Amino acid sequence: MKIEVLEKNETNLRLIIREVDVPLMNALRRIALAEVPSMAIDEVVMIENSSILQDEIIAHRLGLTPLKTDLDSYNLPEECSCKSEFGCNLCRVTLTLDAEAKEGTRTVYSGELVSENPEIVPVSDRVPIIKLAKGQKLKLEAYARLGKGKAHAKWQPVSMCAYKYYPKIEITSKNCENCTKCVDICPKKVLAIKDSKAEVRDLLACNLCMDCVEACPQEPKGITVAWEKNAFIMNIESTGALPPERVLQQATKILDKQLNEFEEQLKVEET
Amino acid sequence: MIIPVRCFTCGKLIGDRWEEFARRIKTGENASDVLDSLGIKRYCCRRMLLSNVEIIDEVLRFYEEAEKRKEARNFY
Repeated sequence: MKIEVLEKNETNLRLIIREVDVPLMNALRRIALAEVPSMAIDEVVMIENSSILQDEIIAHRLGLTPLKTDLDSYNLPEECSCKSEFGCNLCRVTLTLDAEAKEGTRTVYSGELVSENPEIVPVSDRVPIIKLAKGQKLKLEAYARLGKGKAHAKWQPVSMCAYKYYPKIEITSKNCENCTKCVDICPKKVLAIKDSKAEVRDLLACNLCMDCVEACPQEPKGITVAWEKNAFIMNIESTGALPPERVLQQATKILDKQLNEFEEQLKVEET
Repeated sequence: MIIPVRCFTCGKLIGDRWEEFARRIKTGENASDVLDSLGIKRYCCRRMLLSNVEIIDEVLRFYEEAEKRKEARNFY
């Protein structure tokens, strides 16, 4: 397997992965979406709410706010040694919010949540949670836990995890009459005209839609679009809970664990 | 009612971009350019901001008005 990094920042990761097959890529994608744990508010105790939104709506908004996750120091509640319904310091983080509009209408932001662990805070402190009119109050205690995307989308660490085949575009000069129809029709502007000839400008943007091949009036076609069977472009966009490269690392670890479990089960069946 | 925290379709965090978006639209900037500069690429996330109406502001007006009357009553 060969991996080449195209683009990397706090939220985005774009990779070219070669010498792998579709089942592995798809397993990684699905695990990143559904199995990699991240932190989110799961339970909210309302102490006072005189705002115009119902308790449930506020709780839902708090739940969807992504929290920075520390996977190394927290356990999944079902795997935690405390076996407690309420959780312990190793599987639960308490956040509190106490807001009152004293001088006229104001917006309460996610930055006002006070966490017992300064590492586990909302990814962005500018998410509006609610607007309060003068005199209204909101006081609550929220419990954040680790969870998996398959239980609720709020625990999904990625907002996009997708892969596509590595494209292969060939322009045969013998059959091409430089009509530039393929250049005009391409929705991703993959092709460009250079010296009055069609040329591949941005190969990686190609999504294999084949519009250029259909637009070509020549027979046989002057342009062919194909893909490499064992090379993929993977694109991961994190919600900010975990860095995207950590999501992939964690996905491979989980896949490994699941395969080991599967092997163990097979051995038990055989004996 | 109030800007959703995440995109309904993909789950990207969009709530924190609303205020800047609304402010810049008010100054007459092109919505498409604002969305591009905020880094909102997919059309599922773009529609979240484009189609949002902050009804909560309309509702809050009633409470602001009630508060004002209460204060006026206390004053006399």
